[in-house]
Amino acid sequence: MTGTPQPGPPGGEEATAAEYVLGLLPVPERQAFEARLARDPALAREVASWCACFAALTADISEVAPPASLWPRLEARLHGAAQPPLWRQLLPYLLGAVLAAGLAWAAMVTGLLGPALPDLRADLRAGVQGLEISLDYAAGRRTLTVHRTAGAYPPDQVLQLWMLSDSAEAPVPLGIVAPEGPTDLVLERALAGQISGATLALSLEPPGGAPDGRPTGPVIALGKLAPL
Amino acid sequence: MASSPHPDLEELIARVAMADRTAFARLYERTSAKLFGVCLRVLQDRAQAEEALQDTYVKVWNNAGSYRVNGYSPMTWLITLARNAAVDRRRRSDAGRVVQPIELDDRLADPAPGPAQQAEARDEAQALALCMDELPPERAEMVRRAYLEGATYAELAAATGVKLNTVRTWLRRSLLSLRECLSR
Repeated sequence: MTGTPQPGPPGGEEATAAEYVLGLLPVPERQAFEARLARDPALAREVASWCACFAALTADISEVAPPASLWPRLEARLHGAAQPPLWRQLLPYLLGAVLAAGLAWAAMVTGLLGPALPDLRADLRAGVQGLEISLDYAAGRRTLTVHRTAGAYPPDQVLQLWMLSDSAEAPVPLGIVAPEGPTDLVLERALAGQISGATLALSLEPPGGAPDGRPTGPVIALGKLAPL
Repeated sequence: MASSPHPDLEELIARVAMADRTAFARLYERTSAKLFGVCLRVLQDRAQAEEALQDTYVKVWNNAGSYRVNGYSPMTWLITLARNAAVDRRRRSDAGRVVQPIELDDRLADPAPGPAQQAEARDEAQALALCMDELPPERAEMVRRAYLEGATYAELAAATGVKLNTVRTWLRRSLLSLRECLSR
């Protein structure tokens, strides 16, 4: 602070970031701030650093075990009353794709599409980095072609593609997406048989890919292949 | 399912992003007591805090995939979600809540801790506590209420009997002093 009078509230963007984290900005200011935040990584770091600073205010808040009844209520809220298969819960935004895949399957079993497996397609959109990946599966060649259609490849990390299917115990690694150009991933016959109902996940991994064949980094996009 | 017997919180969150419900259960076991404490502190009401805790873990389940891309430590991320879920509930539910007055003190703040004392601040929480002590007491109280109770500027103005714009100027200045102190 220099002591020179300044227009508007003091503290500039740094203090505004703190007000944003506290939820104190009037609506128009908050919207303007969020617009700047979306395209300014330095501002995003500022917000993260305020979150860490304020979170330290909770250091002397004692732990209190929530009642045992809360966990089943939470599970019911997230997954419904039934107990569906472990960890392969489709997220709500996938429902459209599920429906499309279901219709295609119904069409197939009723003979409308004939015996040939359909070619499939999916678009994965990563929430934060502007990454968009398109996936085209050519059933005849058992080849999944991966294109980066928007956004930058993460520096110092690789994008790894996984298949989550009901018949596999753990996510199955499909391959690493090359930083440049389309990547062709040829699937083994056993995997090819599961691909049409499977969810695909894209995770950020260290160079060379997840070391022990299981995802270690955050999943940045999920999607489901649907017939063309 | 887990690849190591004691996966750290980051690993659990990564697995939750893969819709791993076992990992989600373990994350809940390990963090829910702290987050429930935070919700209780904000809401001062058990039933409401239970709802806020559920809101928090619904967000954890739905947003685990975007964690890390944002550069937060696991506990900062979780505490921020819990605090915001609780504050949202508090602001929605009790428009008529009683605002406890904040006594304005015209005296100078307690002398700032000396360098030796500051050197003992080993972790972030201690450093923050020392820097909060450097603020005039009523300003520190405003910062605490804004975060831990989700107090709005209108409520802080009512609590201090000072105009809203003045309260805003005070709080922004206090936040900057805090930041400046923490960066020393």
